[in-house]
Amino acid sequence: MNIIEVRQVSKKYSNYLALNDISLNIQKGVIYGLLGPNGAGKTTLIRILNQITAPDSGEVLFNGLPLNRKNIDKIGYLPEERGLYKKMKVGEEAMYLAQLKGLSQKEAVERLKHWFIKFGIQDWWERKVEELSKGMQQKLQFITTVIHEPEFLILDEPFSGLDPINTNLLKNEIHELKKRGTSIIISTHNMASVEEICDEICLINKANKILEGNLIEIKNQFKQNIFKISIRNENNDMDFPTDFSIIDQSKCNDINTYTVKLGQGMDANTLLQYCMKYGQINAFSEVLPSMNEIFIQQVENYNQEHQHE
Amino acid sequence: MNKTALIISREYLTRVKKKSFIILTLLVPLLFAALMAVPVLVATQTQEHANIMVVDDNEVFINNFKENDKLSFSYQSGNIEEIKKDALDGDYDAVLYLPKSTQKMVANLYYTEEPSMYLRSDLESQIDNIFFDKVLQDSFNINVNQYNTLKKLTQSEITMIQIDEKGEEKESMAELNKSIGMICGFFIYFFIFLFAGQVLRGVLEEKNNRIVEVLISSVKPIELLIGKIVGIALVGLTQFLMWIVLTVVILTGIQIATPNLIDKQAQIENAIEMSGDVQLSDLEETFDAESIFNEISNYFPISFTELILCFLFYFLTGYLIYSALFAAVGSASDNETDSNQLTMPLTMPLLLTIILIMPIADNPNGQLAFWMSIIPLTSPVAMLTRLPSGVPLWELLLSMVMMLLFFVFAVWFAAKVYRTGILMYGKKVTWKEIWRWLKY
Repeated sequence: MNIIEVRQVSKKYSNYLALNDISLNIQKGVIYGLLGPNGAGKTTLIRILNQITAPDSGEVLFNGLPLNRKNIDKIGYLPEERGLYKKMKVGEEAMYLAQLKGLSQKEAVERLKHWFIKFGIQDWWERKVEELSKGMQQKLQFITTVIHEPEFLILDEPFSGLDPINTNLLKNEIHELKKRGTSIIISTHNMASVEEICDEICLINKANKILEGNLIEIKNQFKQNIFKISIRNENNDMDFPTDFSIIDQSKCNDINTYTVKLGQGMDANTLLQYCMKYGQINAFSEVLPSMNEIFIQQVENYNQEHQHE
Repeated sequence: MNKTALIISREYLTRVKKKSFIILTLLVPLLFAALMAVPVLVATQTQEHANIMVVDDNEVFINNFKENDKLSFSYQSGNIEEIKKDALDGDYDAVLYLPKSTQKMVANLYYTEEPSMYLRSDLESQIDNIFFDKVLQDSFNINVNQYNTLKKLTQSEITMIQIDEKGEEKESMAELNKSIGMICGFFIYFFIFLFAGQVLRGVLEEKNNRIVEVLISSVKPIELLIGKIVGIALVGLTQFLMWIVLTVVILTGIQIATPNLIDKQAQIENAIEMSGDVQLSDLEETFDAESIFNEISNYFPISFTELILCFLFYFLTGYLIYSALFAAVGSASDNETDSNQLTMPLTMPLLLTIILIMPIADNPNGQLAFWMSIIPLTSPVAMLTRLPSGVPLWELLLSMVMMLLFFVFAVWFAAKVYRTGILMYGKKVTWKEIWRWLKY
């Protein structure tokens, strides 16, 4: 079951195309990474999902039905550019934003208290927002994003500007929300966090979708038959045949570690069999490409192919 | 709670709770009350009895100064330097020296401690009067009483009588109507910009701190726009109401605390009148608001209630139109400097009306006044300036209908521009660009 289905959505601004015939599905309960270089059209897509702007053509389904204003209370949105009323008191501001999302006053107070205690910021209730540090403001903004327990959460660069401790806190919260069945879309440039938390990804470049699917499947799809092997051997001289090209090599005490790219028709077993002759095998694993590599490679390829358009 | 109501209450409460709002709300009535009460209190309480030695080389003023409970005079002739020294060392507070003069009277007042303003103005008017009597007597051989009779006999006054639509005749006070009209015009100009300016700044604030994206993912842009405009309108109305109530409370309080204030005032008036300074007493009379209210409403082509209702109508519609247009401009610009450039063409009409307020007030039924009170962007000021002088009903209704129609247009325009502009960053927007957004 998909929580969101984007069907052939296009959006054009007066002088450029922001989205070109984009289709994608977001399954319920997954964390979906929306990736792409700056200006690719991510923000436009997010705004369409938020109903801030409407697509020129195509449609968006929410739980199988066309997206409409009633769904607003079921969606939570953390924009990339964080913003709060600086002069308001923390408690009042949180109450206001919670009630704007359709919570009653009573519900809002109860839930906010719970979250404030959880994040250890209950002392801030009466303070002004402008007195809070940037990290604190981000926490507050995150709370107001999820306070109405949305089914679908849109997080735009959620980790930017956070210290490692708060980043971790936020990651835990995201996992927690996922466990409770919330579907989450994360737009980010931080590939390390994508690999860590996303189940599925979609890569958008220059208004077009160029890649979509399960994160692990995608990484397997782009794997290049590279393996990492560690061997304990006294004898340093290990001659690899020409079919094995060594990408990286390091030595720690008597353990040699090689990163080897296998030629056509070779597989892990051939490498293992070959290496076993030289000593005790300590570790062996396949090296999958990082999301960072896939991102750069895919975007550059696309840009070269479409250079003359 | 309804979301628009929620926005209205936030816009209202955050502004009403601000220190600046509370201070302004309290300060203005205090200032008002002070303006009315302090001159009286100062005049009655700081005045002390003064003993004055008069040295008159002209021998015109000797024994002619009028004494009262605040002033007593002694007269001496001789060397001014000696007398001055002796008198000031002695019991006298000041020495008034009038050297020999035939044309304009010159007088010096010597003192060690600064005398009150009252003393000075009293002496000046007494000198003028005594000298005036002497010149009358010497040059024209008539005394003061004869002069006053003559003056009354030869003075003519035109009574202005206006015939209204029902054919009833009414004495009009054109000058008064003119000033009331102009005051209303200035007030409405001031208030429209004061509160519409707050809408502009509110929109800019939300855009600059980027909270707007969160907000319009929860509510429609139009709800946000209406919430802000209505919220600030309520702030304005609250402030008006507080000003009126507080001014009344403070003035009543002063009257209860010092019940003889009015008596004292009458005393001062008498004293001033006695000394012949008629102009001052004219001004003081306005203090007696009740009688002047009655007096004015007798002469007025429209009643006070009608004027206040019209003021409220033009303030509200004028504010709504300008705040909608300002909100549109605010949404289209990134900072206040940019927004000032865009608001220029909007503020020009109202500014022009203020510049032309004198000609409008002078000729409240002329072509200029008529057209400016029909065109919506200028009519709040122009119509309020004209109203106290009387405006034909059909013109008033036409003007009001135009305001309402233009208000609908302004809201439509603002809604269109606002929802596009609010998400547009880092781009200097021109009016041409805004025109294009209307077609989205």
